[in-house]
Amino acid sequence: MSVTKEILYIKGDQNVEVKSQDVTLGDLVSMECAQEHVLSKVKSLKFLKIPDQGKHRYVVSILKMIECIHKEYPNLEIQNVGATDIIVTYEGTKQKNRVWEACQVTLVVITCFIGAAFAIMAFNNDSGVPEIFEQIYEQFMGKKAAGFNILELTYSIGLGLGIIIFFNHFGKKKFTVDPTPIEVEMSLYENDIQTTLIAQSSRRGQELDVGKTNSNGSHRS
Amino acid sequence: MWVKQIVMALIGLSAGSIVAGGLFGFVVSLGIVSDFADRTGTANRIGLYEDAVAVGGILGNLALLYEFPLTMFSPFLGLFGIFSGVFVGCWALALAEVLNVFPIFLRRINVTKGIGFVILGIAVGKVLGASVYFFFGW
Repeated sequence: MSVTKEILYIKGDQNVEVKSQDVTLGDLVSMECAQEHVLSKVKSLKFLKIPDQGKHRYVVSILKMIECIHKEYPNLEIQNVGATDIIVTYEGTKQKNRVWEACQVTLVVITCFIGAAFAIMAFNNDSGVPEIFEQIYEQFMGKKAAGFNILELTYSIGLGLGIIIFFNHFGKKKFTVDPTPIEVEMSLYENDIQTTLIAQSSRRGQELDVGKTNSNGSHRS
Repeated sequence: MWVKQIVMALIGLSAGSIVAGGLFGFVVSLGIVSDFADRTGTANRIGLYEDAVAVGGILGNLALLYEFPLTMFSPFLGLFGIFSGVFVGCWALALAEVLNVFPIFLRRINVTKGIGFVILGIAVGKVLGASVYFFFGW
């Protein structure tokens, strides 16, 4: 079933989560082709069968997908404009336990709260902030400070302002459209994880690539 | 007189905001909070975690500078200890991670297996060190 020289564009994210055990090409990458019927046919091509309902993770080379398409359409020209290695994750059918998740969130919130409180206390103490304030006050006013003064007050206000400006939001209210620092850090971290997964799987020869017959993904623990 | 007050107010404000930027930038770029979010699979709650860090920083600073009496929270003293311990423990290792201590050392001494034991050793060492520090009152 040869077709005229058409170009099929495919674009995949580096990280894909699949919901069903029968994985089609359309689940893994988005694609575009001038011929509507080719597009819908290619999208529904079966690519991967997840053996059981446990958690599975595969690293798939885009070449394997191109090979799969070429089996059906040998004359189709395929242009990949996305990732070259794709991590496919199947989380299993088990529902996430909401109570457990709420517990985890609470624990992380408490750790962040107390940890941040401890960090600023340790910093103030370590760098002797109260002593510095005492000395500045004495140099300015020519007498010892009786109790707390303007320095502690404005320092505390400045600290609060600095934190909120740094994090770029408070509660639901965001000050600019930029992502927050932890969101940026999180996406960097996820990138690192993905790069590592691809490198590990190709080092162990587990990547689903052309010229290999293996089809067993790594079991996720 | 009020000129001096204004200058001191400026000092306080600037000091506070710069310290906030420095310290919390440090905490964030060490990736402690994003690690927590990743381990628990709750990356969608990052906003909440950031709020917790912000509120914790503000209240912790007030509590230390103004020496607020916190006697009503005395039953939770142990809680404060354990959570600040967890945070500092993660901080210490995150710092080592950011500075690439592990990859460099493991590569130098040609260790590829048993990295888990290396981490365990670090953890036990930290606990022992902290215990000795507090026990002998160094």
